[in-house]
Amino acid sequence: MDHLSDILRIHSALSTFWWILLGLFFIIYIVLDGADLGAGFFSLLLKDENDRAAVMSSMAGTWDANETWLVVAGGVIFGAFPLVYGSTFNYLMIPLMFTLWGIISRAVAFEFHVHAKGSRKFWGTMFGLGSLVAAFFAGIALGATLLGFRMTTENAQGIQVANDPFVNTVPHFAGTALSFLSPFSIWTGIGAVIAGGLAGTLFLCARFKQDDPIYKKAHHWATIFSFLAPAAVVITLIWSYAIMPDAAKWTGSGWFGWLILLLAILVSAYKMMSAHAAHRDFPALLWCGAIVVLMWGGMWATNFPYIIPNTWTITAGGNPANDLAILTLFMTGFVPIMIMYNAYQIWVFRHRITHLAGYESH
Amino acid sequence: MIIENTLPIMLSRLDFAFITSMHILWTPVTIGMSWLLFFLEVAWLRTGNEKWYRLQRFFEKLFIVNFGAGVATGVTMEMAFGILYGPFSQAVGPFFGNILGFETITAFMYEAGFIGLMIFGWGKIGKGMHLFSTFNVALSSSLSAMWILVANGWMQSPRGIVLKDGLFQVTNWWHAIFNPNFDIGFPHMWIATVELALFFFAAVSAWFILKNRHADLFTTLLKPTLLALLVITPLQIFIGDELGREVAVDQPTSLAAMEGHYHTYLPDGRVNSGWHIIAIPNAQNDGNIFAITIPHVLSLLETHTLNGKVAGMDQFAPNDRPDVWVPFYAFRLMVTIGFFLFLMALWGNWLRIRGELTAEKLRRHPRFLRLLVFSGFLPYLAVWTGWWTREIGRQPWVVYGLMRTWQGVSHMGVSAEALWFIGYIVFEFMVWGGAWYFFSRIILKGPDLHSPVVGAAPSESSGGGMAQASFAKPTLNKL
Repeated sequence: MDHLSDILRIHSALSTFWWILLGLFFIIYIVLDGADLGAGFFSLLLKDENDRAAVMSSMAGTWDANETWLVVAGGVIFGAFPLVYGSTFNYLMIPLMFTLWGIISRAVAFEFHVHAKGSRKFWGTMFGLGSLVAAFFAGIALGATLLGFRMTTENAQGIQVANDPFVNTVPHFAGTALSFLSPFSIWTGIGAVIAGGLAGTLFLCARFKQDDPIYKKAHHWATIFSFLAPAAVVITLIWSYAIMPDAAKWTGSGWFGWLILLLAILVSAYKMMSAHAAHRDFPALLWCGAIVVLMWGGMWATNFPYIIPNTWTITAGGNPANDLAILTLFMTGFVPIMIMYNAYQIWVFRHRITHLAGYESH
Repeated sequence: MIIENTLPIMLSRLDFAFITSMHILWTPVTIGMSWLLFFLEVAWLRTGNEKWYRLQRFFEKLFIVNFGAGVATGVTMEMAFGILYGPFSQAVGPFFGNILGFETITAFMYEAGFIGLMIFGWGKIGKGMHLFSTFNVALSSSLSAMWILVANGWMQSPRGIVLKDGLFQVTNWWHAIFNPNFDIGFPHMWIATVELALFFFAAVSAWFILKNRHADLFTTLLKPTLLALLVITPLQIFIGDELGREVAVDQPTSLAAMEGHYHTYLPDGRVNSGWHIIAIPNAQNDGNIFAITIPHVLSLLETHTLNGKVAGMDQFAPNDRPDVWVPFYAFRLMVTIGFFLFLMALWGNWLRIRGELTAEKLRRHPRFLRLLVFSGFLPYLAVWTGWWTREIGRQPWVVYGLMRTWQGVSHMGVSAEALWFIGYIVFEFMVWGGAWYFFSRIILKGPDLHSPVVGAAPSESSGGGMAQASFAKPTLNKL
């Protein structure tokens, strides 16, 4: 029995390790692609198609890598938590489908817009709308995930045959196609758009020269979003506290730690807003990223020991210990390497541009 | 009717088949052409000859449009396993999920980390760094193909696992990764990507020569392309034959479907060695209504003997038999294309031996050039038909012999499946139509021969971003 408990401890340690890494990948994705998506739908407010092209230029060299962090997060869920992957993605079919359609539209718009003549306005609109739809439905998917879902160990299609080796083993999703839909999940969709708008406009402020018309417009909207976002956060926190059982730990015995976290978020928000007001654009963007780190970290800690609240614990959703060990041995070393070459690519494309970038084409 | 052909299961199969078929329009070009672009860049840097640079920059424009379409349709793939085949994803998670995790970390992200530098880095990073980026894009996309073929090959010939508590738990990683189908299936797919990219080059070159635009430049490209095809096309036929024999051993039902081979023995008791050119399977899926048959060829192909026994459909329970129509005809189409492309490579190199492969003299062979343009489309069809054969031949199993397709389908209703299908028809055709339209726009515009060559300007420096980017999309000046 000693061996068994050893293996269980190894399994628990490794799955928790991948849960933390997964949190890291989500944070990187939201910080980087959140800004790209936000800048994408902000571009709908620009009148001139060349200005929209300039917004595209501002992320031309990096958007694909930024978006790929989502794929990495998906791959890690599949690789480390396949039981979570196979049930949660089934649950999120509709919102993920719309997110993916948004991602498709945005991705091809990047490549088509620059070559287009007659269809230029169409692809410009697809770029903006695709970004908006992707952010909104990804937000819905996040909210729906926080609420958890119903599962069954019967066949997912309800087909019964004798001696089915897959029945009464792994739980599958058992709700309906619209189970994801709730006032809370719609609200988190709206919240994601507000957060994306803030990150996107701050990003554009850091990417464009300060006397450029696009900079001025982005700066104005970033100010608006920087007031909307804290309000949205407060609403989300109160709503979460009211409906999510795990949020009770905020006022439990460890309340002091949660209070410090809240203060850190408030300080970061203040720093972000004052840096933004002083036109110190890059620090403002970094403080915005700090808020994402703190809030996602807080969410992850609130959910512990669950990976999907009230549905999958981290250990129950994880692969067998042997597989997690292989994943850890062979893939962990690549994580810092991935971060390094991404950082290099971002660094190469760090210089500020002007709205005239949109007049250039291949 | 077997369960796999009932409406909800059939729709889930169609949903997945459609997004996969549309995704594989793009990835083979990315994988194959990234190596060709790397070689063009090496040729430019080694010889200093500007024409390689012009060709590289021209095909790079097509490459990035193709790449964008591949990314757009590829993110869906990463999530579609869990969405459409949740119970499958859970059961195969310990192996298949790990492999997909490996793929995103060691390949998908690796590629994304260098594609921006490759496309938009001209003049902002040094020449050596740029070449290194192109190389990384090529290597990473090939790695991606490798992992995907590991995962899919394992579905065809599962090894190294034991089914326990509803999960395929890995007992031997080596056997699971280097499963017999992968060992031949991956070379077959990888060579296909190179063959597709080479014919892409050849077709575009032939079109320009036919139109007498930049004919010299594109004849320069056509020569090494045709020479490479002389090696690649017969190699692909050889590897394809090896894969067929592997399938005969590990997936006898799939082979029987590919060959429309129902009866192991003839009515008089002799081994049925006949190979059908054409066959019309009956509705019960237990025999052919009509067939044109050549004796001995099937045994020759699969066992390399005159009368070797090849298991027919009658050796398997009716509900273990795949449908015959698609594997039978798709397979034949793929093989025909493979041989046709080999003939095109022979023809082109014959012209070269005869000294006809110059811009001047090639115009006297418009039929060859037109067929070469046409050949640019055929590898796409071969990739499609090959995969349809592979995937439909494996039915009714999703993991061959261990998990039936219906056991892996997600919990979802027909209406949600139909919404997925209709939505993806709209979006995937938007991608396809758009990408091929802009391909044609870029080709019609032709290569840019006048912009200054990157690196010619004295201000170029590594990582600085000071060069005037008259060649690339964004102009990045310091504040």
